[in-house]
Amino acid sequence: MRHDEIPETLDGRLKLLREREEVARQMGGTEKLARREAAGVMNARSRIDALLDPGTFSENGLLGVSAVFEEEREKTPADGKVAGFGLIKGRRVAVVSNDFTVKGASSSTTNMKKIGHVKRTATDRGFPLIFLGESSGARMPDNMGSEGMGTMLGNDPHQYVRERDTPWASAVLGQCFGSSALYSCLADFTVMRKGGILAVASPALASLAIGQNVEPEDLGGWKLLSEETGLVDRVVETDEEAIAEVRQFLSYMPSHNGETPPIAAIPEGSDEAAERIPQILPDSRKRGYDVRKIIGCIVDRESFFEFKPRFGRPAVTGLARLDGNVVGMVANNPISKAGALDVASCEKITSFLVMCDSFNIPIVMLVDTPGFVIGIEGEKKKAPGKIMNFMSALQMCTVPKLSVIMRKSYGQAYLNMGGGRNSDSVAVWPTAEVSFMDPEYATEVVTWGKDVDNEEKRVIREEMERNNTYLGIAEIFAAQTVIAPQDTRRYLIEELKIQQLRRSGGIGRHRLANWPTTF
Amino acid sequence: MTITNVMSEVIGSVWKVDMKVGDAVKTGDTIMILESMKMEIPVEAPVDGTLAELKVKPEESVDEDQVLCTIES
Repeated sequence: MRHDEIPETLDGRLKLLREREEVARQMGGTEKLARREAAGVMNARSRIDALLDPGTFSENGLLGVSAVFEEEREKTPADGKVAGFGLIKGRRVAVVSNDFTVKGASSSTTNMKKIGHVKRTATDRGFPLIFLGESSGARMPDNMGSEGMGTMLGNDPHQYVRERDTPWASAVLGQCFGSSALYSCLADFTVMRKGGILAVASPALASLAIGQNVEPEDLGGWKLLSEETGLVDRVVETDEEAIAEVRQFLSYMPSHNGETPPIAAIPEGSDEAAERIPQILPDSRKRGYDVRKIIGCIVDRESFFEFKPRFGRPAVTGLARLDGNVVGMVANNPISKAGALDVASCEKITSFLVMCDSFNIPIVMLVDTPGFVIGIEGEKKKAPGKIMNFMSALQMCTVPKLSVIMRKSYGQAYLNMGGGRNSDSVAVWPTAEVSFMDPEYATEVVTWGKDVDNEEKRVIREEMERNNTYLGIAEIFAAQTVIAPQDTRRYLIEELKIQQLRRSGGIGRHRLANWPTTF
Repeated sequence: MTITNVMSEVIGSVWKVDMKVGDAVKTGDTIMILESMKMEIPVEAPVDGTLAELKVKPEESVDEDQVLCTIES
């Protein structure tokens, strides 16, 4: 509509405003919306309704449209990205919900300003930002040519800076190329709906570029992202589940880095489960177990929210609560590669430490690892560098760090998992074994090239095993206390109180806050 | 009637199988033990039911996420 066609009276102008607002809320039209509904996929506005507390959405930019080409004004309701503010469980959040029915939610001059506004406001005013992703990338042909590029891109020198002032959560709810993919990679938490795709460019463009057919799932499907690259933290079946997980993630997070995380009520029965740990922990040191069962017995009942469960499986990371307080759990999982940490495990733990430290979440490490995986495959993936990223991150964390050595803690992994002064307090179980190397391998090393028979090797190995026990580390005060497994919950709750950052009101120094978001 | 696939968490081999087809299983019962990285990895029943099919034998190699057996419940 031309400006000189606007009515002169207030009533007339209000009527026009309501009409324009109504049109904008129709998104890409009834036909496209019906197709999505039939496919069981929510639309940009129903996603916001599911995300926010009812009636709390304050939209910004409802009347925004594409302004590059005159004929596009009527075809671009809200310019394909619905943005604004609302509440989740009474707490303020900002949201950008991509509307794929409007030009594939492609990024344009107007909608990028909308993203910039809510992002800036969330950061400056201290509340989380949520991206509900489904976008095709930069809008074409708006940004073609030097004028297009110069106009649309590069105007915000902080666009992709991640300083973790406030938590960001992202949901991959369809095809995510361009901004939806990029912001997902910058987020602290990303959940993906199966069927969604996250990649640099679309399969069609990728096929064109490399001259062979590229399948969407191969390019950026859930298996690739959750198992091989670890770019998504969790995978779900539906939009509704993804949105519920965003809400759940935020329930653990402070609104900004100057706050401590919210405290929750302690579910009944949380204290009793710890008694079950001795039944889960096998008697044999060679028997594996799923450490998630141990975590479940230690933390508040049903409070464990695991990150990247299918990636770097020898390590388990996740948020949980202890006595109502949020903690970041980092554990070795002997059920996978005997708990030996591979490159993916290092990346997974590093990114988790960065997030916890940035948002004042104390870290609890549960240790049962024979060490780092060694071999050619790891070296090709820069294993020594990954181990140092992990180590460096741990040493730079200023939130309270507690380490519990449950069973094996060997070599460099002893340090990476908080051994010695790499955590504020180390507790050991009587089942702990600590040494530089597993006695079986160490026996081979010390007898290398020597004429030693198997019986002599057995004697050497058994001597080494005797020297590995919890008593050695306790007697020289390299561990601060020895606890029974079933006392772990009680111990951690008490020790977290002791280690509280009283002098800063629970706020850490956030030395990792501008570390990369992927490793 | 529901069939539940029981999958391997690890790459390794089957060390021993503790149950046979037709046995009643309860959640948490050890069905078989795998060996991976010199560690014994118990495979536990995720649901109550009856062991319907064993898809692997001792000494056989297994992959991560390979179906080892099925439980009917």
